[in-house]
Amino acid sequence: MGDSIKKWFSLNLGNSNTKPSGSCGCGNPSGGCGSHNSENTDENAIGEERHKDGFEQVFDVKMDRRSAFKKLTASLMVGAGAITTSCSVIVGDETKEKAQIDWEEQFKGNYKLMSDEEKKGTVDRLVRSYQLRTGKTISMSSKNAEEDVLFGYAFNISKCQGYMDCVTACVEENNQDRSSQMEYIRIHEMEDGKGFNFNEADDNYYHEVPAEGHFYMGTQCFHCDNPPCVEVCPVQATWREDDGLVVVDYDWCVGCRYCMAACPYDGRRFNWSTPEVPEEEVNKNQHYLGNRMRKKGVVEKCTFCVQRSRAGKNPACVEACPTGARIFGNLLDPDSTIRWVLENKKVFRLKEDLGTEPKFWYFMD
Amino acid sequence: MKDKYHILYALSGLFLVTSFFSSCKHQEHEYHNITDKIEAESKDYQGISISSEDFIGDIKTLEISEGAHTFLIPERKSQIKSYTCTECHSKSLAQMQNENEAKKAHWNLGLNHADANTMNCVTCHDGSNMDNLISLTGNTLDFNYSYRLCAQCHTNQFDDWKGGAHGKKIASWAPPRASMTCVNCHNPHDPGFKSRWPAKFNTQTEKERR
Ligand code: SF4
Ligand code: SF4
Repeated sequence: MGDSIKKWFSLNLGNSNTKPSGSCGCGNPSGGCGSHNSENTDENAIGEERHKDGFEQVFDVKMDRRSAFKKLTASLMVGAGAITTSCSVIVGDETKEKAQIDWEEQFKGNYKLMSDEEKKGTVDRLVRSYQLRTGKTISMSSKNAEEDVLFGYAFNISKCQGYMDCVTACVEENNQDRSSQMEYIRIHEMEDGKGFNFNEADDNYYHEVPAEGHFYMGTQCFHCDNPPCVEVCPVQATWREDDGLVVVDYDWCVGCRYCMAACPYDGRRFNWSTPEVPEEEVNKNQHYLGNRMRKKGVVEKCTFCVQRSRAGKNPACVEACPTGARIFGNLLDPDSTIRWVLENKKVFRLKEDLGTEPKFWYFMD
Repeated sequence: MKDKYHILYALSGLFLVTSFFSSCKHQEHEYHNITDKIEAESKDYQGISISSEDFIGDIKTLEISEGAHTFLIPERKSQIKSYTCTECHSKSLAQMQNENEAKKAHWNLGLNHADANTMNCVTCHDGSNMDNLISLTGNTLDFNYSYRLCAQCHTNQFDDWKGGAHGKKIASWAPPRASMTCVNCHNPHDPGFKSRWPAKFNTQTEKERR
């Protein structure tokens, strides 16, 4: 609470390394937990932030959902404080730590507005939380966009054979829900000579491919440079990063699905149930904005494998495609292969007239 | 009266301030379209700190220059199991042809590449020196540069490959560019991609559609 750098409220539940406070759990140096005095102090500290509302969070740096939670917080404080003091002998350190992490995670800010330190803080908490819950260690990155990088993608319609290797690789790489068989990529089987006819296309074929008289093309989130999905999000849980990736803060998303309605390309997916990934299949190389485990009721989508692409690797779909139909690279590098494709092949994009400026081009041999 | 002017001033001031802020909000859309943006922002591209070298791993590469393009491709000869070929092929193919007890070392190799009028083994392999390949005009070609052999006929693919529209890159999008060469994806004796079952079928989608 005394920590003025934080943009959100944190509770010290007797975790020894966080704050050298008194014996009580509320972090108040004087007075016992739940005493009238301490409660007042807490309320003042919370009250100080009362003038910051959701609107200012966005335009100002300071942001917290704290004022809205003021009453709740104050009462929880008393409860939590009482529990920790009374049970501190019985309750293990790990339980306390878990509670502490959960608390901080619950009241953290929007990732978009976090400083690098805060980003690292939340990533560390999530890693620790996963460790406490499953006993497994994951690595999670909070790497920011690289200077002078703008990611772009090109898809060769003449090359795609409909093998679906990209879809398989994507699901595994991005820890997508196995129970609902969520897939970011769709491969559409279309009849030759009919152009892009999505109404008649089959994106769930199961026969030997390529089928006679058909061609295949893939869609996924196109990382629009002028993304309508971002405009409509009421809580700014989704935004465009400097390297062009359109990302979602799964902890900030409220699941209203406005973005899904706004996306003209069917690029987004919703978690109707808690995503399930068998523990041994979890990809432990994660990024906060990418393939970390999602929860029920949030939106997710292709991130161009932010955990891979920001490190320098090709996205999983590009790597998995046996035909080389998928080309990925830096649009700002004049010598990159993606630039050569854009400048030398006859490229086009879907629904170009909408002005969404997708950074995903199609071309043919 | 004077008061009125004051109010006007204040109002116009307010208007200026608000219009200033709202124009700030639209700073992101200063380009007409993405092509303009790419062009403008890549003008002073200085290179990036990420390098593909960290991801190429154990793959031995060599640098080639073709036209305006310079990039890395995997080295080939060290990947061929029994190179050098002359360790077995001590005699030329012409000599071997007439031997009755010819050992059938490559019995499992068929040729499913163009038709018999166009190609046979010696269209690409140098019959008198099996360690090398041979061009259509009889020039010796190194196994490491086998793409030049393919480029004799597949000129469009060669152009696209040089530019980066055909083929795959090795692991990373970052510079220096490292691309697979023809034989890393195509079996030169049977270069076409085969029809097969897709890797995945979404039973959930199937259910929902019913
Ligand atoms: S494709 Fe859809 S989800 Fe992706 S950036 Fe564009 S509008 Fe948003
Ligand atoms: S579903 Fe989530 S990301 Fe999409 S608009 Fe609603 S809050 Fe924003």
